[in-house]
Amino acid sequence: MIMQTRNLGWSARGLPIVEAIDLDVIAGETLGLVGPNGSGKSTLLKLLAGIRKPSSGSVAVKGRPLAAMRRREAAQSIAFLEQHAETSEAITVRDAVELGRTPWLTALQPWSHKDESIVAQSLADVDMAGFGQRSWATLSGGERQRVHLARALAQCPEILLLDEPTNHLDVHHQLSILELVARLPVTSIVALHDLNQALACDRVGVLARGRLVALGAPHEVLTVERLHAVFGVRASIVTDPADGARLFRFHALQ
Amino acid sequence: MSLAAIRHHNVSRLGRGTIALALLAVAVLAGACIGETPISVAVALQTLANKIFGAAYPLDPIEAGIIWNYRLPRAIVAACCGAGLAISGLVLQSLLRNALADPYLLGISAGASTGAVAVTIAGLGAGVVSLSLGAFAGAVTAFLLVAMLARAAGGGVTLHGTGQIVLAGIAGSQLFNALTSFIITKSANAEQARGIMFWLLGNLSGARWPDVWLAMPVVLLGLVACIWHARALDAFAFGAESAASLGVPVRAVQVMLIGATALVTAVMVSIVGSIGFVGLVIPHAARFLVGVRHGRLVPATALIGAAFLIAADILSRTMIAGQVLPIGVITALVGAPAFALVLIRGRRAR
Repeated sequence: MIMQTRNLGWSARGLPIVEAIDLDVIAGETLGLVGPNGSGKSTLLKLLAGIRKPSSGSVAVKGRPLAAMRRREAAQSIAFLEQHAETSEAITVRDAVELGRTPWLTALQPWSHKDESIVAQSLADVDMAGFGQRSWATLSGGERQRVHLARALAQCPEILLLDEPTNHLDVHHQLSILELVARLPVTSIVALHDLNQALACDRVGVLARGRLVALGAPHEVLTVERLHAVFGVRASIVTDPADGARLFRFHALQ
Repeated sequence: MSLAAIRHHNVSRLGRGTIALALLAVAVLAGACIGETPISVAVALQTLANKIFGAAYPLDPIEAGIIWNYRLPRAIVAACCGAGLAISGLVLQSLLRNALADPYLLGISAGASTGAVAVTIAGLGAGVVSLSLGAFAGAVTAFLLVAMLARAAGGGVTLHGTGQIVLAGIAGSQLFNALTSFIITKSANAEQARGIMFWLLGNLSGARWPDVWLAMPVVLLGLVACIWHARALDAFAFGAESAASLGVPVRAVQVMLIGATALVTAVMVSIVGSIGFVGLVIPHAARFLVGVRHGRLVPATALIGAAFLIAADILSRTMIAGQVLPIGVITALVGAPAFALVLIRGRRAR
């Protein structure tokens, strides 16, 4: 178990946003988190990243309580790609990716060739190798998202937390980001809106009103009945004649 | 050496440091030589040699006195003050992610003035609390109030692009300026009131060596704190949560650096009164020259701020013959148009 939560909860002004989450994350897996808007996916990811303090319960990383870890130490094992991270600073792509090395640098361990090559590799991994000197303001939404991912990769994390990484991306970049994440030799927890994309994860957790209502293999968890109950849609399963993959088709409830 | 070379850091770190210190020395020397009685650079250097190294150049004691007792401490205090206010503005802009943040606009200077006046005029603290300490208490109180108001207004201090913190700052400035006026009117006699009013607009006339020994350590402390946290400040580029996920202990860094900002601002206000626009404009100029990475931006901001305030002080002493303009008038005359430019550029960026 690389990450465990017990009775994890967070509430705002007495209103529970996330509650009683018991989650065991297996090392190396890609775990999808799905749920309707407001079901607590983003909040759960922030709790797992340790940037929000739980109202109840705890998170443990490789058996150690996250709350007891120093922020720098936590950031050496966990990278978090949040939604809507924007800046008005005139920074370059390279500046943005170099930020990923922050948890590894101190006044006594300054920038080195190793950091240099990690940054270069991260940029190459997201297919942005030639973009180092481009300024942030000139990037498209998809390019920005890939740079954010490169920044997270430059952190050299064991656990990668991604909050709807395919939002606002065209279909090509959606697929390339997800394929890249699946290929990475790290544990990833990914909040997703597209349930067909969730089918490609190793496991899927379903959140509803702040609770984890199901966790398991995608096709066992994402059943027609559950989609009805959680998302309020009628789903039918169709099979792609090309490769036999099963896909969802959704219809509004009458 | 071209601007582009500095920008693209082709110049070594040592080279840049040497250039910076040389520029600073030239600025201080200019501050010592230029004035109603122009004094030659040679005389200024000889005075320094006499005072510091015990040399025995024969000098006019009046000229030497002007250099050593008035202009030199004045130029050094101006440099400290410019550097201190500029890095304070930079820290606030980076931490609050607001291009318009600065100690003057956010009411910190106004709070410091109130604190200082409360101690000197109203006798708060019964002589135990020093002027600077009173100013510090006022600065911290003002910032906390402004931050709370911004948060209550839905802006929060971590959000970007919202005008709430600036609006809250305006409200805070008005409140504390009113309090200052209230205290002066209630407790000061006519002569005190005139002196205080002149001081409030920013005035370096009273700067002497003891002020140097207060201003210099404080500004160096602030500078070291900022350089030490340069990477943390960089990490705020995408907001506080992003900084936290990059391993920055956000709350600790905010408390430490905003505390340092309040301290630096308070000490500067207690020595020279409240001077606007330096903290707002100088960091933007420095970003334009050296880019956004704080490892270079912090020293560059400090240097430009120091040189700018020395220049503003020279102007304030020489612009109208026989009169000294409050230095705040000069910084506002330069700063207000620059502020307008920042506003317009900010609109284009959106």
